[in-house]
Amino acid sequence: MKKAVDVKVGDEFKLEKHVNKYMPIHYAGAGGDFNPIHIDAEFGKKVGLGGNILQGLGTYAFASQTCVDWAGNPKALKRLKVRFASPVRPGDTVIVTGKVVEINGNRVKAELAAVNDKGDVILTNALAEFELE
Amino acid sequence: MKNEKRWPGLGFVIEYSPPATKSKEVDQLIDEKFMGKKYEASDTYDICRMKIREYANSLGDLNPLYVDRKAAEASEFGRVVAPPTFAVVCGGEPAGRMLMDGELKLNLPMLVHGEQDIEFFEVIGQGDEISSEGEITEIYQKKNLDFISITVESKNQHGKLVAKAKYTFVVRGGG
Repeated sequence: MKKAVDVKVGDEFKLEKHVNKYMPIHYAGAGGDFNPIHIDAEFGKKVGLGGNILQGLGTYAFASQTCVDWAGNPKALKRLKVRFASPVRPGDTVIVTGKVVEINGNRVKAELAAVNDKGDVILTNALAEFELE
Repeated sequence: MKNEKRWPGLGFVIEYSPPATKSKEVDQLIDEKFMGKKYEASDTYDICRMKIREYANSLGDLNPLYVDRKAAEASEFGRVVAPPTFAVVCGGEPAGRMLMDGELKLNLPMLVHGEQDIEFFEVIGQGDEISSEGEITEIYQKKNLDFISITVESKNQHGKLVAKAKYTFVVRGGG
């Protein structure tokens, strides 16, 4: 696990995740969210989403992975808060970035952001809190 | 498949009526009288190694602690652990129950996930038995959008709080 003394305000980290065509279906099976807007493109079109979209909690998991990979240990992540700004679609690449904004002893806060490869903003108001070594 | 023919739990198939058209019923606000309503999971969620692997695989998150038994057993955890966000799988049922609660008259085809906020207190993993209870903690309207939040607390078999998760859903086209 990362040590708080090795972290500075302004440190940045990043992870790119590609969403393949079947990820929403795999995630439905693994995570239990079978809402047709995620697994049925035709249904997604009918309700004005232009196709099926990845479960928000899938995108949330991308943000979490970005944090855990950076901190080097799943136990370091203490809180993760996001707002879903626009949907993620099969074929998208999601780029999650983080920036350390506050360090208090071994407690570290980072602001997160996510966009897709088309430049759409995916996550806003995203914040992660860590407890490092 | 009808939901009634399934044992309660995660993975239920939502059956929708045709996509919403403007009508009195779908346009109404979510009634604030449902604030504080509670939803309990039907059973403990017993976490197993292969379900963690399935979850990690579905998201392409191949941290050895989640998918590699030997590496995980040799780690400080001594067992396969789950990604923090697995909390929404082992603790997601109360949120699902709220969405499926006919009394709330949520317009599901127009509902999207708005925000997610989880506090993680303990690493969860193989062998844990998780009990979850949720409570509706917010209902409000902003610019034609209806918001509803449920806060779910999940405890492990030792009674320790492992995660507190707030799910906020938005119903589009409220008025």
